[in-house]
Amino acid sequence: MSARQLHLGYMYWANGTHPAGWRYPGAEHVRAFDPDYIVELARIAEAAAFDFFFFGDRLATGVEYELTNTSVIARIEPFTTASYLATKTSRIGLVVTANPTYSEPFNLARLTASLDHISHGRASWNIVTGADGRAAGNYSRDEHGDANARYDRADEFVAVVRALWDSWEDDAFIRDKESGAFVDGSKVHRLDHDGAAFQVRGPLNVARPPQGHPVILHAGTSDRSRDLGARDADVLFAAAATIEQGVAYRDDIRRRALGFGRDPDDLAVLPGLTPIVAETTERAREIYEELNALIILDDDIRFGGREPGHWAPSETIGRREDQGPGLRNLGALSQRVGYDATGHDLDDPVPASVATGFTPVGRQLVGAVERRTGRTVGGDHATTWRDLLHAHIVAGHLVVGSASDVADYIEEWFTSGASDGFNIQSAFLVEQLHAFADLVVPELRRRGLFRTEYAGTTLREHLGLARPESPWTETDIAATAARA
Amino acid sequence: MTTTRQLHLGLMFWATGTHTAGWRYPGSKADGAYDIEFIQAVTRIAEAAKFDFLFLGDRLATDPALAATNPAQMSRLEPFTAAAAIAAATESIGIVVTANPTYSDPYTIARLTASLDHLSRGRASWNLVTGADAAAAANFSRAEHWDAEHRYDWADEFVDVVRDLWDSWEDGALVRDQESGRYIDPSAVHAIDHDGEHFRVAGPLNVARPPQGQVVLLHAGTSERSRELAGREADVVFAGQSDITSAREYYADIKARAAANGRGAEEVLILPGLSVIVAETTAEAVAVYDRLNALLPLDPEDEVVESVRFGGLGQALKRNLASVSRIIGVDVTGNPLDAAVPSSIADEVNEDGARILARITTLTRRTLDATGDARITYRDLIDGIARQGAVVVGDPIEVADHLQFWFETGAADGFNIFPDFVPGSVDAFTRLVVPELQRRGLFRTEYEGRTFREHLGLSVPENRFASEGAAT
Repeated sequence: MSARQLHLGYMYWANGTHPAGWRYPGAEHVRAFDPDYIVELARIAEAAAFDFFFFGDRLATGVEYELTNTSVIARIEPFTTASYLATKTSRIGLVVTANPTYSEPFNLARLTASLDHISHGRASWNIVTGADGRAAGNYSRDEHGDANARYDRADEFVAVVRALWDSWEDDAFIRDKESGAFVDGSKVHRLDHDGAAFQVRGPLNVARPPQGHPVILHAGTSDRSRDLGARDADVLFAAAATIEQGVAYRDDIRRRALGFGRDPDDLAVLPGLTPIVAETTERAREIYEELNALIILDDDIRFGGREPGHWAPSETIGRREDQGPGLRNLGALSQRVGYDATGHDLDDPVPASVATGFTPVGRQLVGAVERRTGRTVGGDHATTWRDLLHAHIVAGHLVVGSASDVADYIEEWFTSGASDGFNIQSAFLVEQLHAFADLVVPELRRRGLFRTEYAGTTLREHLGLARPESPWTETDIAATAARA
Repeated sequence: MTTTRQLHLGLMFWATGTHTAGWRYPGSKADGAYDIEFIQAVTRIAEAAKFDFLFLGDRLATDPALAATNPAQMSRLEPFTAAAAIAAATESIGIVVTANPTYSDPYTIARLTASLDHLSRGRASWNLVTGADAAAAANFSRAEHWDAEHRYDWADEFVDVVRDLWDSWEDGALVRDQESGRYIDPSAVHAIDHDGEHFRVAGPLNVARPPQGQVVLLHAGTSERSRELAGREADVVFAGQSDITSAREYYADIKARAAANGRGAEEVLILPGLSVIVAETTAEAVAVYDRLNALLPLDPEDEVVESVRFGGLGQALKRNLASVSRIIGVDVTGNPLDAAVPSSIADEVNEDGARILARITTLTRRTLDATGDARITYRDLIDGIARQGAVVVGDPIEVADHLQFWFETGAADGFNIFPDFVPGSVDAFTRLVVPELQRRGLFRTEYEGRTFREHLGLSVPENRFASEGAAT
């Protein structure tokens, strides 16, 4: 009855996660700002009983995303969109990404609390400290700040936000028309927080959220990030790519959570996963190949020379040098695998004698090609340099196969302790979301791994998490007990 | 096609009503502030009546003391999230969101407003306030509340940066051509490289240009700096004058400032706020007004001082005859509240007192000289000193006459209607007044456009960077 069950999130990318997904025949690619489209996706995820619908965020953009991830080059803002969705859905959790580095606790506490009221307890805040240093340039800052400074601020920020959520007790409102008593002022509390980064008097001007505290997500692998996640997050969005990494990460987070006095079972570790699913394994592999064929490689396939003027005024847009063109060629691949492949043709097979000398990264690429395509180095269907280059460019966590292939993969991660579920992403839309919802989800249910319908109405309930008590109530109880 | 000038109507929305006791009025929803389905339903009433917009106010600090003076503003949903949920439940009505630059960043506000404009398909508007609540500073790690000059210096530059960011993507910048693999036209995406006194913003924004090009901008205020900002930047000015003389002065001043900025008189619309208490008959409307005021508790006679709480939140005059005496310059303490005030008082009161007596008569039709129930009572004096904003009480014809007079004599381009209690006041206005205005040809019977700009008769501005794009 109470067997451990998967948690599934759906991460929204308007054009899918595959860098060329938007170019796939029939794929949606012009609807990033069309609310009907986002509603359509959220309703598919809700019909499949996903735990939540997840909006990522960044506070800057650059032209290189044209080649790497068109979904993020220009996109709709998460809080407004999540609120819009709250009205168009009824059960699915709504995860909004927001970065403390460029915000104020009072503003964030209001937005999240308000979203929680509007969604009747389905709000969640994904805390990120900002991987894109260009954000500083959009926020009048000289520098992005090093990771330690950002986490110092984030740690205090979260504590202040929680205190603001709690500044109104659940029963602070009286609203008695007869007597005219509207509020019980003794149940509305100032914080008078005076910390290193923030001084916040409070109270918030929003009633305590229906969930008490909206669910908190966090992603990251650094030591500071793991501590923040283990201390404050309910859901960890993990980046592990292998089961071994997944187990190590989840064990570490659970150990840290215990150290913070939490029950490790209150944390769900959900790695990101892009399944490419079809009726058969063969068809799924074809789709992967068809997608890869649409990737734009560098004009100079050996050394990454760029077509002059491809991004004519790119200098004015602050392109990041570590992404985009210049990395989609044999020279860049050579650096990763530790072998100079620039003399080869893209469609030459990778010799087994060469592959044995690859770097660990190179061996991972060989493994990725094998899992995704079935091709092996030196096999009948031999891995080519093009295959490795594609795997290098399509770097995310992918699984390619039939419904049962994908379910096997998910089940293996889940039962081996590498995850508590997944944050599902689609290579392209809408077909791949339908494929997961219609093919994989029923298979997971047949195996007893995933809910057939929502048992509760709030995101906390989907995740099996209790609603936090108001600390003021506890204090009152303690004070009463002390007097007794 | 008729080109007769028409009124513009906004609904200033506070879920529990703009009257302090509105939430107590029979039929009002006392917990409406957190009931999004209720808020959406009220918005749809305004939309069915073809209102130009719904207006969500804001402030960045609170205190339970506000319950005594302004419970609707004590706590509520955050405006951007509420607006997006309203957009999801409506089709045509404009949605105004209040946001204060003093405690935000241009990149953040540009994204929120642009995104709301996409979600609402061109119905978003930003009401720029600089924040009168000194207490807000204490919620934002600031040692002190900036003075008005500082706040307006900051706001002026802030608006300019937000406008640049809205335009940083030209309308055709998203090419999205599957065949060629070109997703963007880089020559139509612009860094803004703003390097000013208060802000350094590289851009571009990460949101496509809003459907309205530039989101509709609202502003309110009477200070010199505020008028200056309104004349230069605002599409709609929310005015607070309660008498027609000062309303006309304000109207003319803003239009002149707009002209000085090269803008046409029709490009800045001035909408005074107005509480409307309307019923089928004048007597019924006055009864509603009296009933609302009767729900306001009275203060003991020995409390004279203003109840100033920290930061000015919850500030209000005490409701007793001591306060009345202090304001009108005549000692009226000790009188029974429901007794008639002797007509001789007219010769004794100061200027404020005379104004208050006239106002009581305007609103209640009661006078010093009448007989019986038609006479002004001491209770009326207490109610008379309480309300500062513009109020009209009457039957549909009287209310429509009032609106038309202001509209046709240089005091208003329309009104921001304050509902004293919700949904009752909204129901009454849309059911009784709107049809009368429509009969007079003063208000639309259907939305002619789809965007807020179109409701206001404003065109989509040319992109600030478009000429650069064309040059390359």
